[in-house]
Amino acid sequence: MTTVIRADGVGRRFAGRRVLADIDLEVRDGEIFGLLGPDGAGKTTLMQLLAAILDPSEGQLTVFGFDTRHGAEEVNARVGYMTQAFSLYDRLSVIENLQFAARIRDVAASDFRLRSEELLTMAGLENARHRRAGQLSGGMRKKLSLCAALIHAPALLLLDELSLGVDPLSRRDLWRLLRRHRDEGNTVVISTPYMDEAEHCDRLGFLHDGQLVALDTPARLRRRVTGHIYQLATSHLDETEALVRSWPGISSLQRLANRLRIQLAPDQDVPVDALARLDGLGHLVAVEPTLEEAFIALSPLSAPAVLPPPMPPAFAATGVEVRAERLGVHFGDVMAVHEVSLRVPPGEVIGWLGPNGAGKTTLIRVLCGLQKPSVGRAWVGELSVTEQVGQLRRRLGYMSQHFSLYPDLSVAENLRFFAGIYGLAGRQRRLAIDWASHMTHLTGLEEQRVDALSAAVRQRLALACSILHGPAVLFLDEPTSGIDPLSRQHFWHLILTLAGQGMTVFVTTHYLEEANYCHRLGLMHQGRLIALDTPDQLRVTLGLPHDAGMEAVFMAGIEREQRRAS
Amino acid sequence: MKAKRIAAVATKETREVLRDPITLGVALMMPLVLLLLFGYAITLDVDDIALGVLDEDHSPASRQLQQAFTASDAFRLTARLRHYHEVESTLQGGEARLVLVIPAGFQRRLARGEASPVQLLVDGSYSATATLVSQRALAVTRGFGRDSPASLLSLDTRVWFNPSLSSVHTVVPALYAVILMAFPPLLTALALVREKETGTIQQIYASPLSAAEFLCGKLVPYGAIACVQMAMVIIAGLLWFGVPFHGSPGVLLAVSLLYVLCTLGIGLLVSAVTRTQLVAMLAVLIITLMPSFLFSGMLFPIFTMPYLLQLYTLLFPGRYFVDIARGVVLKGVGVEILWPSIAVVAVYTLLILALAAWRLKKKVA
Repeated sequence: MTTVIRADGVGRRFAGRRVLADIDLEVRDGEIFGLLGPDGAGKTTLMQLLAAILDPSEGQLTVFGFDTRHGAEEVNARVGYMTQAFSLYDRLSVIENLQFAARIRDVAASDFRLRSEELLTMAGLENARHRRAGQLSGGMRKKLSLCAALIHAPALLLLDELSLGVDPLSRRDLWRLLRRHRDEGNTVVISTPYMDEAEHCDRLGFLHDGQLVALDTPARLRRRVTGHIYQLATSHLDETEALVRSWPGISSLQRLANRLRIQLAPDQDVPVDALARLDGLGHLVAVEPTLEEAFIALSPLSAPAVLPPPMPPAFAATGVEVRAERLGVHFGDVMAVHEVSLRVPPGEVIGWLGPNGAGKTTLIRVLCGLQKPSVGRAWVGELSVTEQVGQLRRRLGYMSQHFSLYPDLSVAENLRFFAGIYGLAGRQRRLAIDWASHMTHLTGLEEQRVDALSAAVRQRLALACSILHGPAVLFLDEPTSGIDPLSRQHFWHLILTLAGQGMTVFVTTHYLEEANYCHRLGLMHQGRLIALDTPDQLRVTLGLPHDAGMEAVFMAGIEREQRRAS
Repeated sequence: MKAKRIAAVATKETREVLRDPITLGVALMMPLVLLLLFGYAITLDVDDIALGVLDEDHSPASRQLQQAFTASDAFRLTARLRHYHEVESTLQGGEARLVLVIPAGFQRRLARGEASPVQLLVDGSYSATATLVSQRALAVTRGFGRDSPASLLSLDTRVWFNPSLSSVHTVVPALYAVILMAFPPLLTALALVREKETGTIQQIYASPLSAAEFLCGKLVPYGAIACVQMAMVIIAGLLWFGVPFHGSPGVLLAVSLLYVLCTLGIGLLVSAVTRTQLVAMLAVLIITLMPSFLFSGMLFPIFTMPYLLQLYTLLFPGRYFVDIARGVVLKGVGVEILWPSIAVVAVYTLLILALAAWRLKKKVA
């Protein structure tokens, strides 16, 4: 075992601002090392330091024994680096992109033929060889980027946010490539905000605010909190939650669709009288911790805030049912959505899962009145999505990962602007803004400019902006990708509270752990709704154990459909 | 520097350019458009000048003088005046650019061999044309006088290199310098900054490719495009505007290639220090296009500028290329006379390229 990466007190500043500080790290050959952390924690900066395309402001960083400041050429020659943004030339074909990557790295023509064939086959791109990179789907582009980074068989592979925007099927292909590369004796460093991806790594470093706060194997990290995690299945969530909140030493409380997950501080135990008081409400069991819980124990953040205020009566959303009957959207010969019928009762949180291009976005666009269905009908409450679009829009809220907040405006200015868009004015607007900012814990941050906020706060502001008008139905598109675990729990707590007040919530996501918060899941594949059920019921119908992870549920659902089709 | 790596970059870049027909089309059409626009618009020639005549003599000699004016292509009779007070309104209304006043007794004085004054009133509201108009009018009257016995001295001027004194012939060779300064750097600047914007440049940084290899590879396709541009404007100048070509086309092409490397290098240098395509484009326009119009000697002769501005023009490679292009095309001279300018362009090119390679550090910040 030799040391591949050694960092001693490495730090980096940008214009005086500290982005990374005091990084001590040693990575040996033949391991997959994961860098885990929320957006803005410094993952990309550390990756760029390792690739020697950025110099550290302090400390010493060596890769294969070469200083990254003075031996950049030596480092460059041994490293494959896949950036977060797509690093392909859109006008070149798949094979031409690979060829370019190989030739600038002095890969011999005979080696190139062999390796490119092998990589393209493993990535499932062998039939796309002559397609332009610009025409590939997101998942295929990622796979091609990875092939390009692997073409010279680098001894160290650096992958920045490998799985961003990649569906679980493509992700499985990506990981197959990675493991094989590691098994050939190479080293892989991967950065990710996804906990389930971190589980696959041999060792993990957790970055928080530019500092490495933990460094260990996933199993050992989890073991640190073993015995402090409890699960409480209950059908009386509000009552039970109020009761549990009175316990001392709770470091996190996760409210899922039909249960609570409780994390106690390391020196705490379940209060002696608790079990008796919970009698009849639910059943408390100690459970295996997740990585997420291990990191919550490590992060210096506080416990969840108090319960949010109820919606002011003026716009208390009267829950509505969302219905669709044999809905279909055809683009030429392509059936983006095919024969989808569904019925979603008020107050339900429903998650949409599926590979890229499965039709999730198109379906949501139809329900928002943005896309005219080719066949079938749909209603939100009494409003038809094709006939009464104007009224419909006022009952809907929409929030995406790339929510269009104005970065140069303050929190309050953004809120006022979006309230104005929905026609709120005067006292009504004031009340709405008060309520939404209380709800999302933005009080006290009103004067801050949006570009100075953390990803987690921006996400809450985006949510506040999309619920100002008290929508009956809320659409969330990858709502929590890139934010830290505790903030994610807060966020979902808010969503479930809103749902408790009657708001129907549609969520589309690639981050499968988010599906745990949903009452029901809709699984889409090639335009069809192939399953729509509670997570527990899905596990039963797919013949999976009751504790199977969401990724397993997803894969089993897709595979069942593929078998059925063939 | 490894030739294989440079070839890899050049191949990739060429493919990208060829698959972007709009950019390619604009790159090839714009120089022609510019050539046509400027070839026609920047004409300092004065032809077909509106002429007013006030003939108070009504004699054969006065008619002869009028004919001398209208016989040349330069003047066209547009107004016949009857009274002197009509002159002012004619010039004010623009019916005529100049008025010829032939006083009574013109023929009598001529016959006596006395000096017989005529008056030319010229609209001076646009000074450049006014000078030219009066010069041509003067030439006509001199010519008229020469046939008469009164003329004792005759001045015989002969213009070399551009005997017809056509400004198209002086403007078009200078346009070669401007066109090659305006478009090629825009192409290279955008091509590099685009890679910064999309993030593909990080792959380049993280590879063993050196900055010099990368830039050399980038130069190849755009250098080829610039050569095509050059050939197109030379041929268009020759065939369309009838600009004579006295010197050796080989010399002009060779020096053009050098000059193009220089202008492409300016584009690369700009893109090495900017981050967005918009900024790069504006910077290129300000650095290349504007000075090459004003300070290259294309429109305004450098030797009439104030001394400090003359020194300033030395900074622009376009200025030397204007000298070279006019020298080869109009004067038919070669390296033996133009070598100082060529040497300056060569040194300039090397400096620019070295500076660009040095500024393009393989680091993201």
